[in-house]
Amino acid sequence: MTDAIESILRPFARVPGELTVHFEDAATPSSAALDGPRLTRDIQVDGRYLGRLVAEGPAVRERTISAALEAVAIGIERLVQAGGIDAGALPAAADARSGIAAELALSRLQQRSLVSLEPPEVPGYDLASYYEPAREIGGDFFELFVLRRRGRPLGVVIADVTGKGIAAALLMAFARPVIHAALQAASGPADALRRTNRILVDELRTALFITALVGRLEVRTGRISIANAGHEPPLLVPSDGGPIVSVEGGGRMLGMSSPLDLPETEVELAPGDRLVLYTDGVTDAITSTGERFGKDRMIATIDGARGGSAHDIVRELSAAVSGFCEGMIPVDDVTIVAVGRQ
Amino acid sequence: MAMQTTVERVDAAVPVTVMTLAGELDASNYLRLVDDVRPLYAAGARHLLLDLTDLTFISSSGLVSLYSILKVMQGEEPPDPEYGWSALHAMERGAEEGGEQNAVRIAGMRPDVAGVLQRTGLDALFPSHPDRESALAAF
Repeated sequence: MTDAIESILRPFARVPGELTVHFEDAATPSSAALDGPRLTRDIQVDGRYLGRLVAEGPAVRERTISAALEAVAIGIERLVQAGGIDAGALPAAADARSGIAAELALSRLQQRSLVSLEPPEVPGYDLASYYEPAREIGGDFFELFVLRRRGRPLGVVIADVTGKGIAAALLMAFARPVIHAALQAASGPADALRRTNRILVDELRTALFITALVGRLEVRTGRISIANAGHEPPLLVPSDGGPIVSVEGGGRMLGMSSPLDLPETEVELAPGDRLVLYTDGVTDAITSTGERFGKDRMIATIDGARGGSAHDIVRELSAAVSGFCEGMIPVDDVTIVAVGRQ
Repeated sequence: MAMQTTVERVDAAVPVTVMTLAGELDASNYLRLVDDVRPLYAAGARHLLLDLTDLTFISSSGLVSLYSILKVMQGEEPPDPEYGWSALHAMERGAEEGGEQNAVRIAGMRPDVAGVLQRTGLDALFPSHPDRESALAAF
C-alpha cells in the first residue's frame, strides 16, 4: 500500500524527501487533519473506519498535495467498495510494502463493478447502457441519474479519461462523483463541466485530460440540453426514419485550462427518437489485422437496429463491435449509452 | 497498429528536428513516442517539427503523448503518463503570457487527425501548418 500510494503521489513532491505517504492502521479516526507537517485523511467505506492515509513533510501544506491525497483516498475508498482491494488487507499490505501492481491492479471484473450502474427507471423513457473494460485499465465512465430538481430531470454523463493505467482509473473514480455533484448543484450542463474543470485544473493539476459530455433531460418535454467538453458528439436517431445526425457543438476537454466556457446545445427528443452516446472505444475498436470499426460502420449498425428499443440499439452495436474484434478483449474501454423516448 | 518514426535535422532560421510519424498513434505506442523525444531534447534539440502527413489515426492516448512531448521540448518535468499527475500547468502559463510557443509545430495533419485535435481543444496548443515547408519557414 505504501509503495502504491507513494508511486501515485511521487510526482507531487517537487523536492525529493519533502513528502512521504503511508497507510496507518490506527484504531480510531484522527481528530486533526493537518497537524504540523502531518496531513491525515481517514479511509472510510460505508461508514466503516479502516485506517488512514498519512502524508508527512513540509509539502503537506500545499493545496495540491492535500487535493492529491484526497483524490487518492477517494479512489481507494471506491476501489474497496467495488471489491478491488480487500478492506481487511489494507493494514497487512502496509506492512508487506507490496508494489503498486499487486495492490491496485484491478481485475476487469472489479473495474466493471466500479463503472457500471443500473440506469434508473424513468417513465416514458427507455434507458440502456453497455460497458466493456479494456485489457489494460482505461478511464471510461458513464452515469444516468435523476436530478433533485423540479420536474426530476435526468442527468446523463459519459466521459473518457485519456491515457491508461492506475492514474486513469483513480482519476475516473475521483471525477465521476465530482461531475455528479456538480450537475446536481449547477445551473445546467455547461456550468457543471465548468465547475468540474476548475477542480481538475486549479486543485488537482492533473496532466491527464477528460473528455466529457453532460446532458440534462427535461422528462416532460423531451428537451435535452448538452454540454460537450471534447467528447465524441452523440448521435440523434430520429423516429421518422430520417438520417442519423451528429449533435455537434462543444469545446476543449477537461483539465486543460480554466475557466472553461462551453456552449449548450439543445435537442428535442420526439416520441420514438433516440440519442446514442459512446466513447472512442467503439470507433477505435481494432481487428488483429489493424482495421478500425470506424464511424461509418457504427452509424450503419445503429441504422440497422433503429426499429427496436434503446436496448436493442445498444445490444446490436455492442455485438457488432465485439464481433468485429473477433471476441478479443478490447484495447480500449467500450461504452455505449442510449436514451430513447417512448 | 504499428507506427514508424524517422528523425532528421533541418537548418531553418533555427536548427529544427523533424520527426515524421507514419501509421497510427494509439494506446499501444503513445508512451514510446514520448521516450523517443526525451533523448532529442537531451541532445540539444529545442525546435521540433512533427510531420504528420502519413499519420492516419490518433486515439485519445495519442493526445497525452503530444501534450507530453510539448512539455519535454519546453524543458519541463514532463508529466508521467503512467501516473498522470503533474504539479505544473506551465504551458497554460506560457499561453497566458502571450505569443504562441515555438518549441513544437505540427505539419500536414490529415482531416481525421486534425478533427480529433480540434474537438478536444488540443489544437490551441500547437501551431499547425499545411506542409513541412511552410512549417519550417515559421520557426
